[in-house]
Amino acid sequence: MPNDLEKKIIAALQGDIPVTPRPYREIAETAGVDEETVISVVKDLYQRGVIRRFGATLRHQKSGFNANAMVAWQVAEALIDDVGEQIAAYDAVTHCYRRDPAPQWPYNLYTMVHASDEDECREIARKISDDIGLSDYTMLFSRRELKKTSMQYFDNEFD
Amino acid sequence: MTAIDETDKTILNRIQSDFPITQRPYQAVAEELRLDEEDVIHRIRRLKELGIIRRIGGNFVPGKLGFVSTLCAGRVPEKKIDGFAAVVNDYRGVTHNYVRDNIYNVWFTMIAPSMEEIKQNLAQIAEQTGVPDIINLPATRVYKIKAQFNLE
Repeated sequence: MPNDLEKKIIAALQGDIPVTPRPYREIAETAGVDEETVISVVKDLYQRGVIRRFGATLRHQKSGFNANAMVAWQVAEALIDDVGEQIAAYDAVTHCYRRDPAPQWPYNLYTMVHASDEDECREIARKISDDIGLSDYTMLFSRRELKKTSMQYFDNEFD
Repeated sequence: MTAIDETDKTILNRIQSDFPITQRPYQAVAEELRLDEEDVIHRIRRLKELGIIRRIGGNFVPGKLGFVSTLCAGRVPEKKIDGFAAVVNDYRGVTHNYVRDNIYNVWFTMIAPSMEEIKQNLAQIAEQTGVPDIINLPATRVYKIKAQFNLE
């Protein structure tokens, strides 16, 4: 678990860092420490893999990736690691996870596919299905965004 | 895509991951791309104003901060979707929530300190909304998380 200083810095980094010449100095002022400390803690969090990705998050719809689909696959458990790695290798696949299925929902491998339109998403899923020989899958297109945000892990502890 | 040029695309491709952790990160980006710091800052501000950049910051691994995450889906009658969404979205651990075209039609992610708490939250949501059928699909293995979208 992160210590109090790390929590303060995480709280700052999980928002939006300033677009000014010395953003870490501004974070440092808010956290009540010096700039060098912030930089070394951020480096450490990044090197330890606590920060998975550090940088800009784009709005896909505004950057040309207009469509995305969740594709849920039903894969034999004995093959799932192989299949998971194979599907992960497709460029259009941005996320690929094994998930526990539910009794009334048999799918156990989940991928997000991003493309320029829905037909292209369908085409990609069909190609993966043909290439790997997976016939049981369902495509879930998003029809409405109800919420999209980043997790705020620790900010309420310092209010 | 409107109003962004090749230099903007180069900057966007550079700053989606490995954002510099140095005193003057925008200057570091500028140097790498043979631009100047002021221009990089100006362009990034504009890309945020245009809504192309949602935010710049860290994306954390929940497990390394003592949290668990899961994907859930509810089978929600059309008329109840807005009410269901209001209850679900109220949880700060719900970060993504979408209507999708399936019998399970409302799909959301939930992050919490334990799976026990997630189960309690789901039971509470079911009770409050009268939607009993909510599936909980925790990830047990990650094969890929990519968040770099190359603009060409």
